[in-house]
Amino acid sequence: MAKIKVEGLKKSFGSNQVLKGIDVAVNEGEVVCVIGPSGSGKSTFLRCINQLDAITAGRVIVDNQDLNDPKTNLNKARENIGMVFQHFNLFPHFSVLKNIMFAPRELGILNAQQARDTALQLLERVGLSDKAESFPTQLSGGQKQRVAIARALAMNPDVMLFDEPTSALDPEMVGEVLGVMKDLASEGMTMMIVTHEMGFAREVADRVIFMDGGYIVEQGTPEEIFGNPKNERTISFLEKVL
Amino acid sequence: MKTKKISFFILSLMLLLVSGLTGWVGNATAASDSGKTYVIGTDVTFAPFEYEDENGDFVGIDMDLLDAIAKDQNFNYQIKALGFNAAVQALEANQVDGVIAGMSITDERKAKFDFSEPYYDSGVVMGISANNDTIKSYEDLRGKKVAVKTGTEGYSFAESIASKYGFTIVPFDESYQMYDDVKTGNSVACFEDEPVLRYGVKQNNGLKIVTAKEDGASYGFAVSKGKNQELLEMFNAGLVNIKANGEYKRIIEEYVGENAQVVNQGRWELIQKSLPALFKGLGKTLLYTIVSLFFAFIIGLIFGFMKVGQNKFLRGVATVFVDIFRGIPLIVLAFFIYFGIPQAMGFTMPLFLAAILTLSLNAGAYVTEIIRGGIQSIDRGQMEAARSLGLPYRKAMIKIVIPQAVRVMIPSFINQMVITLKDTSILSVIGLVELTQSGKIVIARTFSSFDIWLTVAVMYLIVIITLTKIADYLEVKVRRG
Repeated sequence: MAKIKVEGLKKSFGSNQVLKGIDVAVNEGEVVCVIGPSGSGKSTFLRCINQLDAITAGRVIVDNQDLNDPKTNLNKARENIGMVFQHFNLFPHFSVLKNIMFAPRELGILNAQQARDTALQLLERVGLSDKAESFPTQLSGGQKQRVAIARALAMNPDVMLFDEPTSALDPEMVGEVLGVMKDLASEGMTMMIVTHEMGFAREVADRVIFMDGGYIVEQGTPEEIFGNPKNERTISFLEKVL
Repeated sequence: MKTKKISFFILSLMLLLVSGLTGWVGNATAASDSGKTYVIGTDVTFAPFEYEDENGDFVGIDMDLLDAIAKDQNFNYQIKALGFNAAVQALEANQVDGVIAGMSITDERKAKFDFSEPYYDSGVVMGISANNDTIKSYEDLRGKKVAVKTGTEGYSFAESIASKYGFTIVPFDESYQMYDDVKTGNSVACFEDEPVLRYGVKQNNGLKIVTAKEDGASYGFAVSKGKNQELLEMFNAGLVNIKANGEYKRIIEEYVGENAQVVNQGRWELIQKSLPALFKGLGKTLLYTIVSLFFAFIIGLIFGFMKVGQNKFLRGVATVFVDIFRGIPLIVLAFFIYFGIPQAMGFTMPLFLAAILTLSLNAGAYVTEIIRGGIQSIDRGQMEAARSLGLPYRKAMIKIVIPQAVRVMIPSFINQMVITLKDTSILSVIGLVELTQSGKIVIARTFSSFDIWLTVAVMYLIVIITLTKIADYLEVKVRRG
């Protein structure tokens, strides 16, 4: 059963059409990596799934809920869709622990004790138990991104969106973040990952989507895309990045 | 607990406001307890006709004449010392019932006002620096500059002979400014009504009189054309009576006669004696600053959030608001609010309200921009991260964006506080007796510009530096969080 269903998705910024018609379905527990040249619309595509960017046409359905239906409570729907950003976007005025506890507490989903326990548990899971009382500015990039993942997981979402989660990191820190993501994938989380880490995509993805010019140009298993790409543009892109 | 604190804050502000109101008019004299109380506008600094004495009471020929006439005719009045130009504008705007301010009766003014019978025959004389021996007559002014006070007989006279004798006119608002300009040598001479300059010379203003009195117009008491006619009649009747019983002569003698009192004191003594008046002025400055900033903050919050909000219409409204009130100079805004609007709409506006409105709207426009800038300086990713977790816009704004934005805004708020505090001095033009105006009033009596302006400047500095230090300390506390 499809967890995420995108039909005829179009998105324009003013007169600039970035997405020109995207159809895709992501199954429960599936890990989908979205690759493609910069400007191809992959980040916008991801941001349309939780409606951080309002869509221009088409439908986005998550958990059988049409997010563009006026009756849909978008805030409620977003609680179930975690998102990790390229630039972490941690709340700098909160400690690490408070960053993670904040949303469940503020939305009344967990009480203070539960939120604290959950946060500490998640910190342990991302290997940062000793940083609970630190502030974001005191963390390295890799640590920040792991906290950001923990923050998204604190809402206990069914779906996780990753928007180039390692692009802003120094090379030596990429591994620690990908490691956490790999664990998450192996636990059966439904994930959509916009990434430039081809090795990671090949290893972890169930499916790889290649986007260019606002369209999905080609998709398939990592073996199909990386081993035997069919489309010209896929081939030329992969030649450049591999 | 929190709401208690806030309501206490508002309560104290209201108290401050009310206590401020009680002091915004000059001295009042009750001659009888029946009938209406007339509000009479006057100049602040036109010795010997009106000026504030050391005790902060308004005295002078005009004040004593009015008092004697009011007693004789049994009416109540209240003095509003606004400054000459402001008093005349206030009369036009019906903010006051009458004006007594050594005002010459001219045809031009007769078109707008009804005048009493003349109560004093004046005339213009020329004053030069006491050390100057070269200027003896109008002929010696060729190619030189001459200081005059706007709206006075001296001004009209200077204008009428300027081209004949080839001098340039430099206009001032206050007599003491004119004297200072002559003393410092920027202008070589000034033209002023004879009793005024004679009084100044007597009080050691550093000038001397070198010409005989020109035949000039006479001073009259003015009311708005067709209004308050009964007041005018009472004034005329009272004037006849006090001239008959010798009271009139006694009053004139007291100020410009041979035995008129001369204030002669050392610098320290002078500064010390002026301090109570200056501190009172400082209190007003602080009061108006605090109250105005409070309202400016509310205005800024409303328009600031309109400016960053999603609604195009509200955004437009806020933009227009900022453009207007940031675009109008404070002094023009003050005149417009205090004189312009009431005149056009036919109502009177209390001075404190006009002052606070002016400062609040002006500062409000700036605070709007501070708040907008602060919020927009916060990375968009903060709002997006909060929304992606399922937080509604308002919650994300209040819990995530605003706390960070406030830290960015604090230095600008401190800056605005200092600016508004200094800007209160501009409101002296509509007669608000704050620190600067208090200084002017003392100088009008004593002619000691240097000492008093130095004292005033030091007072501003001490207050502003103190406030800035406190604000810096609070800023550090907030940043540490």
